[in-house]
Amino acid sequence: MNLTRRRAIQLALTAGALLATEAACGKTNKGTDSGGTKNTTLVVENSFDLTTADPGRVYEVTGGMVAHAMYEPLLTFAGGDVSKPVPLLAKSFEASADGKVLTLKLDETAKFSDGSAVTADDVVFSFNRVKNVKGNPSFLLDGVTVTAPDAQTVVLTSAKANPALPYLLPTPALGIVNSKVAKAQGAVDAEGADKSDKAETWFNANSAGSGPYTLQSFSTTTEVVLVANDKYWGTKPVYTKIVLRNVTNSVQKLDVVKDASQLALDLSPDQAKDLGAAVTVDRASTTTTFFLFTNMNPAISPVTSNPKFQEAVRYGLDYAGIMSLAGEGAVQAPGLVPDKLLGALAAGDSLKRDLDRAKAALAASGYSGQEIPMEYPSDITKNGIDFGVLAQKVQAGLTEVGIKVKLAPAPVATALPNYRDGKEKLGLWLWGADYPDPSDYLAFLPGGLVGLRAGWKAGSSPDLTTIGDQAAIETDSGKRAALYQDLQRKLNEVGPFMPLFQSAQISVMAKSVSNFVYNAVWTVDFGALK
Amino acid sequence: MRSRPYLRFVLVRLGALVLLAVGITLVSFILTNLVPGDPAAANLGQRALSDPAIVAAFRHQHGLDQPLPVQYWKYLTGLVQGDFGTSQRSNRPVGDELAEYVPATLELASTAVVLSVVVGVGLGMLAAMRRNSWLDQLLRVVSLAGVSMPTFWLALAAFFLLFYKWGILPGGGRLDPGLDPPPQVTGLYTVDALLAGQWDIFGNAVFHLIMPALVLAAYTVGLLTRFTRASMLEVLGNDYIRTAQAKGLPGRTIVFRHVLRPALVPILTVAGLAFGSLLSGTVLVEQIFSWNGIGQYAYQSALNLDLPAIMGVSLVVAVIYVTVNFVVDLLYGVVDPRVRLQ
Repeated sequence: MNLTRRRAIQLALTAGALLATEAACGKTNKGTDSGGTKNTTLVVENSFDLTTADPGRVYEVTGGMVAHAMYEPLLTFAGGDVSKPVPLLAKSFEASADGKVLTLKLDETAKFSDGSAVTADDVVFSFNRVKNVKGNPSFLLDGVTVTAPDAQTVVLTSAKANPALPYLLPTPALGIVNSKVAKAQGAVDAEGADKSDKAETWFNANSAGSGPYTLQSFSTTTEVVLVANDKYWGTKPVYTKIVLRNVTNSVQKLDVVKDASQLALDLSPDQAKDLGAAVTVDRASTTTTFFLFTNMNPAISPVTSNPKFQEAVRYGLDYAGIMSLAGEGAVQAPGLVPDKLLGALAAGDSLKRDLDRAKAALAASGYSGQEIPMEYPSDITKNGIDFGVLAQKVQAGLTEVGIKVKLAPAPVATALPNYRDGKEKLGLWLWGADYPDPSDYLAFLPGGLVGLRAGWKAGSSPDLTTIGDQAAIETDSGKRAALYQDLQRKLNEVGPFMPLFQSAQISVMAKSVSNFVYNAVWTVDFGALK
Repeated sequence: MRSRPYLRFVLVRLGALVLLAVGITLVSFILTNLVPGDPAAANLGQRALSDPAIVAAFRHQHGLDQPLPVQYWKYLTGLVQGDFGTSQRSNRPVGDELAEYVPATLELASTAVVLSVVVGVGLGMLAAMRRNSWLDQLLRVVSLAGVSMPTFWLALAAFFLLFYKWGILPGGGRLDPGLDPPPQVTGLYTVDALLAGQWDIFGNAVFHLIMPALVLAAYTVGLLTRFTRASMLEVLGNDYIRTAQAKGLPGRTIVFRHVLRPALVPILTVAGLAFGSLLSGTVLVEQIFSWNGIGQYAYQSALNLDLPAIMGVSLVVAVIYVTVNFVVDLLYGVVDPRVRLQ
């Protein structure tokens, strides 16, 4: 009996030892594998905001990175310069004098991942599908008609002058799909595609683009694996496999320092300090603008709609303190249009704190010390900036002026409807550029998408509306830039928005990774990494 | 004759399970609709949200344009046919997503359960047998620490020490990033790797399981240690134990035959209930260890007010929880003949 038991214990121990050895072998094998493929598998870590890999529906940051690697657009941006679209699938493009027609000639050498040529029909199909599936990116092609006079020519016609169109085309959602493959999988580009298109599931497991990578596996919560496109028509990517993992930023930091990953995309400014010599840190300002607004609608708040109260807030904010929170790499937003874009104001135009002016304005406003709730999304952290901490900083600055701000956080799904309905008295939010053109910021004018959220009804400021209307259709770049700058200076005087800062994208990578350039539209171009 | 009350018991419990499932869907449905949020706002971009046609298309696609009772009835009728609805976030059938994520959580949770029972009961027995010794005191402190430490903190601390500082165990994920998962049969990587004869994948999967399973098991280990100790001490104080000792029975026989068996009933109850905390713990543990399970899925779904996904996860967790406790009830009869006789 005793012998049997002892034997059993011995057997169990041996099994345990074997298991441990096996497990260790598993690790060693990987090590050996990675010895052979270390330079070809790249592990990238990101806090996912992923919902789809379907290029007709993709809109989020993580989705943008993934789609950009698989679906090439007609035009692109070189490196991080989003101020000038350059050819990609289209080898040339030309806008008509009235700005209504954009003609693009396709590169005849461009091939999809199945080896077939990229044609104008594929472009027509892709663009019409984006419009008709009625997804998040559909607005990009509002009022735009796409036609293909021949296999290599695409004509985009807009109802009104559309000088922003070339800046929209590099957006990941406007990547071109292989229409034959997509149709075979239930993709539809005709009107009614929002009901009849059945291809999203297929696009979440496969890909049909001309980019340097194809999709191997896709999970919206955990991991996306891309593998190099064997038939890529451009310069072959260095990494044969990209493993993009959903990891919280505190763990990202440990992983990248330990070389368990080679690129971490979500470290906060504080986390990126003192990381040691094993990694490289890249800091770049993004096109995400954090801003505060005071509601212009007297029915919502007679206090915040008072121009003198707005002046008190504008000059009472502690911009320097807020910038220290935003961290290295962030820039104070001189206006709403981010510094990388045409029409941005110069750094010298930034608002500066003037406590005396703020206090005098507050006294003139008749404010009697009542608490004003400031609403913000409590569960959003963008580029390591937590809205809760930022709200406290804003509150502290305004307290010095004599304004009592009551913090009113709510999860974004709850806060957003209130914001959207223009019911917030004070609101602390952010705006990420949908595409890198200043026309995206016309939404902040009276009657615009964001203007209405701040209770700023159409017709409230005819001057601004006139400049905005001119800027929207002006085709000359110099004049466009001047109009947008003029618009922002006026917004900084009379508008309800106080631009705070453009957050910093902090990308931390192993020394083995080079050629990384942050791009405000797709964050990182996996195909360009070395 | 004897099997009849047993059969009745099983049938009653199964009936209760069905009622409970309906109740869970109703509560999840009402709660999710009571939240002052808008699924369209949570799932659509700001531009799309300003286009009534797109919002209408979204609402129509997900049936949100219908009255709440109709929405609920459609969900229930779909559910009876095995259709969990379509996720508002990913547009995929929730059933497919659950099938993808549940095995990962089951693999993690079942490993944690085995660890909890083996280690927790073992340590509890040890503490009871060496009552008031230094070992008992130490185990009391350890079990108290296990019960009191927040799971997310322990996960981060373990990750920092075992992976970052000492490099003993791998970081997040179910496998090393370069490795491809084994061909899917059960969805449990360890089992699938064995079935495919991929020993290196099996070893790697086991290696990746250790840390999250240990972290997840910490609370239940602490709990079971304390309960096993208390339960065994209660039995040890009985006269028949003293009689057994007086008879000169070996200590091992007394412990396993006369003490452990009666002491197991309350331990089983606690273990069954603790499984619930283990499942809720997966939400945090899976976040930190990048584990592709329903914990992560639940978190993302809640953030996006993805009603069908929230209901799907609630249902699956409830069914697992009730089933585990049902099995515990059946085990009472196995462990304690008095229950069978009743």
